[in-house]
Amino acid sequence: MAFSDLSHLWHRQTNKKWIYLIMYGRRASQLLRELACSETGQLTTFNSDAFDQVIKECNEHNLQLQSLIRKIEDENLDIQTTRNEDHFGAVIHHLSLIRNKHCLMAYMYNRAETIQSLRWKVGPVLPQEIQEKLNYSEEEYFKNHSAAIESYMSELDLDLTVDMVPPKDPYIRVRVLDDIGEVCLGDHSISLTKHSLHFLRRTDAEPFISQGIMEEFLE
Amino acid sequence: MASGSGSGSGSGSERWSEGLETEAAMAMETTDVELLKRAWRNEKAAPEILQFEAALVLRAREQIQLLEETLEEFTENGVDDLVVSLYQMDLDRTLFLLRSYLRIRLQKIEKYMIHISKTNLWNRLSEQEQRFAKRCTDIMEKHLEQSVLSRLPYGYQSILKQSISSEEDDMVPEPQLDTFVFCKTKSAVGAFQLDDTGDEIVDLVADDLYVLRYKSIKGLVEGGRIDLV
Repeated sequence: MAFSDLSHLWHRQTNKKWIYLIMYGRRASQLLRELACSETGQLTTFNSDAFDQVIKECNEHNLQLQSLIRKIEDENLDIQTTRNEDHFGAVIHHLSLIRNKHCLMAYMYNRAETIQSLRWKVGPVLPQEIQEKLNYSEEEYFKNHSAAIESYMSELDLDLTVDMVPPKDPYIRVRVLDDIGEVCLGDHSISLTKHSLHFLRRTDAEPFISQGIMEEFLE
Repeated sequence: MASGSGSGSGSGSERWSEGLETEAAMAMETTDVELLKRAWRNEKAAPEILQFEAALVLRAREQIQLLEETLEEFTENGVDDLVVSLYQMDLDRTLFLLRSYLRIRLQKIEKYMIHISKTNLWNRLSEQEQRFAKRCTDIMEKHLEQSVLSRLPYGYQSILKQSISSEEDDMVPEPQLDTFVFCKTKSAVGAFQLDDTGDEIVDLVADDLYVLRYKSIKGLVEGGRIDLV
């Protein structure tokens, strides 16, 4: 393919060409800056405007690239050995496209990693305020990924989402933050009304704590 | 077990029997919980996924079940609450170790699923983990496909390659193997070569703590001759 030859040659070019690359890749790098600025484990709203624009940029690069290659071919020059301005123009478009692809993939992939971690931290159902930050594909991804974790756990017959921190005491004192109602724990049922204090087994309390409707009560 | 250590060293009968002896000594010294703790610690500290400890996990689960049954009996027979809670604590700790061990592995699979499924790391996974990894990879591929790749121009749509002109897969996230890890020697390893050129040699004595690149001691970790902490 012509591309491989192009990118191979790139390494011998001067730094001057990078200026074009930086200009071309700016919007994509903004996506990544957004990731870098947010705290680890936190999601920002999916930036579909910038995302779509970068996709558009990619397709424009491709059009330019194709037309430059066509131009070289029309001039009956050998695409493998020609080193004229059209060749270097094509190299720049090719590399800008790859750079944009990197940024888009890194953006999606890093967000997907955070979304994966939500299954462990928050549970199978995401609260509305997080849900709003995901795009459609990400929502679907979260559901499918949780289902994969769940089927692994059911194959093993072991719940891995409890016991996230090393146990100190098997029982903990907790305060209920929201009306949960009558709940069956072990062999007895217990009424978890708002603001009430209970002494529960840590494993029983953890699911409620991770949902944010109960907290460990520390004097 | 003996066959495992034999194939590991694989040079001369002397070393083989030596391996057997240390293994026997180790088996006497350490309980399954200790072994699980070691496997957990190694897994936690290693940047890449290690061999799944299938037999150990099976034994640990059996013991957990036994403990649970004992506890049930205790409560039925009205044994002292203090004793019950001590047993409960023991059970909780073992359960935590087991869960955390399995969880760390799943999280590594989540992170490096494509890399794992392309290399012989795949054989280190349990059957269930392999199914999980397969499913995760499919889901991730579908997600990236529909949100990015399918919208890019022809020639740039591969999840593995930057473009059609890349000769090898140059877009797969891989664990950083040259990261530094803390490790503790169990027995003397002797003069150990840290790099390929042989410029750096360190004398690993028994029961000492080192900070080394994971890549250089990888073999020792896999052979169970050194523990990560």
